Amino acid sequence: MNDAPVDVVLVDDHLMFRAGVKASLDDRVHVVGEAATVDEAIQVVRATQPPVVLLDVHLPGGDGGGGAEVIRACTDLLGGTRFLALSVSDAAEDVVAVIRAGARGYVTKAISGPDLCDAVLRVAGGDAVFSPRLAGFVLDAFGAAAGDVATGDDELDRLSAREREVMRLIARGYSYREVAGELFISIKTVETHVSAVLRKLQLSSRHELTRWAAARRLL
Amino acid sequence: MESPSRLPLRRPERGRVVGGVAAGLALHLGVSARLVRVLFALLTPVGGVGVALYVFWWVTIPVGDPAVAAGAGRPAELSRLHRPLEHDTVQRLRRLPWTEIAVGVALLAGAAAMLLARAGTDVVGNWVVPVLLLVAGAALAWSQLDAVQRERRGGSRGPVSVLRLVGGLVIAGVGVLLLVGQEATPGTLVQSTVAAVAVLGGVALVLAPWWLRLVRELGDERAARARESERADIAAHLHDSVLQTLALIRARADDPTEVARMARAQERELRAWLYDDRPAPGTSVAAVLAAIVAEIEDTRTGPDGEAVTIETVVVGDTEPDASTDALLQATREALLNAVRHGRPPVSLYLEAGPDEVEVFVRDRGDGFDPDAVPDDRFGVRESILGRVRRRGGTASVVCKDGGGTEVRLRMPLVRERAAAEDERTMQG
Repeated sequence: MNDAPVDVVLVDDHLMFRAGVKASLDDRVHVVGEAATVDEAIQVVRATQPPVVLLDVHLPGGDGGGGAEVIRACTDLLGGTRFLALSVSDAAEDVVAVIRAGARGYVTKAISGPDLCDAVLRVAGGDAVFSPRLAGFVLDAFGAAAGDVATGDDELDRLSAREREVMRLIARGYSYREVAGELFISIKTVETHVSAVLRKLQLSSRHELTRWAAARRLL
Repeated sequence: MESPSRLPLRRPERGRVVGGVAAGLALHLGVSARLVRVLFALLTPVGGVGVALYVFWWVTIPVGDPAVAAGAGRPAELSRLHRPLEHDTVQRLRRLPWTEIAVGVALLAGAAAMLLARAGTDVVGNWVVPVLLLVAGAALAWSQLDAVQRERRGGSRGPVSVLRLVGGLVIAGVGVLLLVGQEATPGTLVQSTVAAVAVLGGVALVLAPWWLRLVRELGDERAARARESERADIAAHLHDSVLQTLALIRARADDPTEVARMARAQERELRAWLYDDRPAPGTSVAAVLAAIVAEIEDTRTGPDGEAVTIETVVVGDTEPDASTDALLQATREALLNAVRHGRPPVSLYLEAGPDEVEVFVRDRGDGFDPDAVPDDRFGVRESILGRVRRRGGTASVVCKDGGGTEVRLRMPLVRERAAAEDERTMQG
């Protein structure tokens, strides 16, 4: 990883929270822009085109679509700009909404400053970021606890046995490095599995996922 | 404006004989109701003045408790409860003294009628009776308004109100016919009645959309009011919980542990209120676990006295039974251990599958070797591992170099389920 700080745009409608996040980020991350509404966010992201956007799920303005609307309005930038959703909400429809719109990860606002920086760097490097809660949510949504495991690699509606193992370890609070150590695989392989799960989360037509997405009126 | 000591003119519903006119007048004037009634009776033989006056006041004086009306008219700051809406209505009604105007008009009309009678026209037969009929009918129908208002306050619409409306319409119609068709033959009268009804029907047909829209707008307004009350509920909840906690936090800003603990407890409570659907008690292992986590977070602190957050992830759910109870008790002990001896963050993961429930409790402490714990230390061996193993589950403690400690518990559900099924077949 190179030493130049990663540029991020911070989108949240609470000034106090933006200030708190800025204070908690270390020098690996550099905030180049801030926005408080959907329209402002689209404008700032288009103007600065940062590698990473830290995006709140609930935002005022626009058509009321919140963070997911910002991502959809910036779909053409998704090659160079990646979105990391940041939310206080644990509600399933919020998670599904931003992930399916194209966010590369989902962390809750309780995350510590260094962890958030790690997550930003990871997303900037093209990987997906899964918090324990998001991993638990994925396991729930794909029915993995009930032993509903994919047999082939190309199945979108179920997790493979390995992906399930990785998700379980992340849900147990393991970092990617610890997951790799536990499963005797490389960190790169862990990242590949997580990215595959993210892709399934975005593309799967599993009933639970489409239902939650429909709750926020997007499919 | 009446003097403050005098009650406003209303027809009270209690203590009335016919329409409450005499009772209302008596209250308003401060004399006995009997005296007023006698006066009415005495005036009746004199050209029917008593009856006419009575009917007139019956029509023009609104129903209501004079004492309540007097209270509503008082300035809001003098009332015990501030009710701006009611006050506003009263003010608006007050702007035009309808009653006084009506009385004046009626008196003028009476005088004109007497003058005409002197001139030789039969005013009473031709005009007064039909007009009185018309007014009485209209009054009967308009008294509907009172009924509707009462209904909105919680009563119900009965056949009486419909009867009242129809009766009012008929009486008013007869009055109109007498008034308009004074010199007409019965034939033309019938003809014109049919024509009038037809015209009314046509008008009703044309106005129906407006009427429907009005009804719909009323429905919308009620929905808005329901939303309003929901918002009031939320405001009340926020006030009782979040605002109180914020006030407490501000008061104890110099105690970071306490502040963190209160903030965490409040966050958990608010989150549960906002996002969770509350399962019925005794049906959810996840709910029991959440309660355990809440209790530990609220009452325990870490080794350095700091508040501890337990990152909880739950996948799936199942109904509690004896073995999950044992599992959760063991989980609680493991969490206490992690909070007391480990380092935050503490992670808790529960996965409930169809056949088994698994729990993982992890901390980032220095770890310890369970085999090195002396035999007399019951903590880990008995309360965590033994509890689960006795119920047929498996349990282990894993220490990682630099990665803290993880307690792994697994409890099969099969046996319990099979037992439950046996019971069911025996009962069947």
